[in-house]
Amino acid sequence: MSLAERLLIARLKERDGRAFDEIVQLYGDKVFSLVYRMLGNRHEAEDVAQEVFITVFKTVDGFRGEAKFSTWLLRIAANQSKNRIKYLSRRPTDGGEVEDALQMRAGSGTPAPVIQAQIEGPDVLMEAAELESLMQRSIAALDEEHRLLVILRDVEELSYQEIGEITGLPEGTIKSRLHRARMAIKEELDKHTR
Amino acid sequence: MDHAQAQNAFSDFLDGTLPDRERVEVEQHLAVCIQCRTELTAFRRTVGSLGKLKQPAPPTFLPDIKQQIYKRSHGRFFAPRWKLFGRIPFEWISLATIIAMLVYYLAMLHGAPSGVHAAP
Repeated sequence: MSLAERLLIARLKERDGRAFDEIVQLYGDKVFSLVYRMLGNRHEAEDVAQEVFITVFKTVDGFRGEAKFSTWLLRIAANQSKNRIKYLSRRPTDGGEVEDALQMRAGSGTPAPVIQAQIEGPDVLMEAAELESLMQRSIAALDEEHRLLVILRDVEELSYQEIGEITGLPEGTIKSRLHRARMAIKEELDKHTR
Repeated sequence: MDHAQAQNAFSDFLDGTLPDRERVEVEQHLAVCIQCRTELTAFRRTVGSLGKLKQPAPPTFLPDIKQQIYKRSHGRFFAPRWKLFGRIPFEWISLATIIAMLVYYLAMLHGAPSGVHAAP
């Protein structure tokens, strides 16, 4: 763990409000992205991602620094995502768990899609959104373990070492499961693009 | 190397983590197998597309979390804390209590009558 990270954690343990803000600004996107791709639903992802940081702040006094703070944080995010998936699977579904990418963009409040339409044309935008939706459905079709590995490696671009610290899996197992997951997603995409 | 062996090596091949001997075998197979070349292209495209799926947190993420923490902790979370070891120093309180009781006990011992003497 770097000195800067140690100092930030120390300030957080002292309940420094600015340290709190810095932690969320540093890791908020990564946590939200992981949780969103695990759950496939924006509303659930916002809920769980908030809970991740609340859990982190409640338990930060117990963080001893044996692992990197980011991997500790993402391990919490991964576990809470899996717990929410189990909870949702026991609940009667209305079929809306995996959002369409267009719906997601509509709810995000970001101006980027409008700008993109002006530059690239609405057809290109629609194609990109459809591909994203298809990718998300393909990821959602995986079981949680394979899904997590794909998200950590291919979406969040973590190293195998970091993934090992988050999942507790040996590198060989990570690589073989990741490969199976990638092939499954490729097959799913091939079905829809032929 | 057959198709299955080549395709099983795609991930390591793309990651650049194949041992040299195996990498050469995959490259040699790809040079003569259009099917596997096509599969590799699709595989590479899949992995590349996954890299574009990062999703930023909503703009209200930080204020929403702070609101939740404030609500659940009744405003106590960011309240000033006792600085001694950054938490309530229960062990120091216990030690102080033990010392106080010891002092009280010693004081009682010195102040108490030394004994009961028989009447002459």
